[in-house]
Amino acid sequence: MDLDVHLSAIVHGDKVSFARWLTSAERPVRDSLRSFARVIDVEAVLQEALLRVWQVAPRFESDGRPNGLLRLGVRIARNLAVSEVRRTRATPTDHEDLEALVEHATPSAPDPILRQAIEACRDKLPAKPRQALDARLASGGGHDDTELATSLGMKLNTFLQNFTRARQLLAECLKKGGVVLDEELGA
Amino acid sequence: MTDEEEALLVEQVASAYRPTARAHEELRYHPAWHDLSEAARERAFARGRALRTLESTIDPDGLSAAARAILARIP
Repeated sequence: MDLDVHLSAIVHGDKVSFARWLTSAERPVRDSLRSFARVIDVEAVLQEALLRVWQVAPRFESDGRPNGLLRLGVRIARNLAVSEVRRTRATPTDHEDLEALVEHATPSAPDPILRQAIEACRDKLPAKPRQALDARLASGGGHDDTELATSLGMKLNTFLQNFTRARQLLAECLKKGGVVLDEELGA
Repeated sequence: MTDEEEALLVEQVASAYRPTARAHEELRYHPAWHDLSEAARERAFARGRALRTLESTIDPDGLSAAARAILARIP
């Protein structure tokens, strides 16, 4: 799938189309930063880079090849990461072939069956871990864990322990149903 | 730092939350990221990737917490 199907609307400032683009673009851009993970905060760089894609999109000119905006996002993320490496004087590991990474990127689509499986497992979680997981999911990255813990009347470490338990139990439950979302989820 | 203490820091850094950058900054790291060893930073990256997959799968619009945080920054 060519994510540039959303390009025209994004260029004209359609935030909903940008959100749809993000659902498939986030993963390949994130993966393009993997080699920097030891030396920079990839999550911070990724979010800033994708925000910049939105900001520069009105001036974007397609080269006619598929996934032009995604390739631009990978370049912006890479440049920002390199800039951070220079600023912090860190040494990243070898870079992957970024163009190849985009070429092999598989746009994701919502999977209602998988979603139902996760929700069924979430419903089986003990109360406190469930609260911690739900608080994280509901916050949408808008609040730090100290705020979330306070909102639930928990100490930070208790909140984190409950979240860890929720994550591991969820992965275990999914695995019993033959679903491995990501091995790291149960680590 | 004990292994358990570091594991809890990894859990924090793996979240999508990042502080808002100040006027003179391009971006701000999660405060706990600086306390992690290089190996723990890699674990935080992998954990964050897994959590973003979970979040986007369970979200009705297919958006991860990172995507929602980005969209929240758009006026």
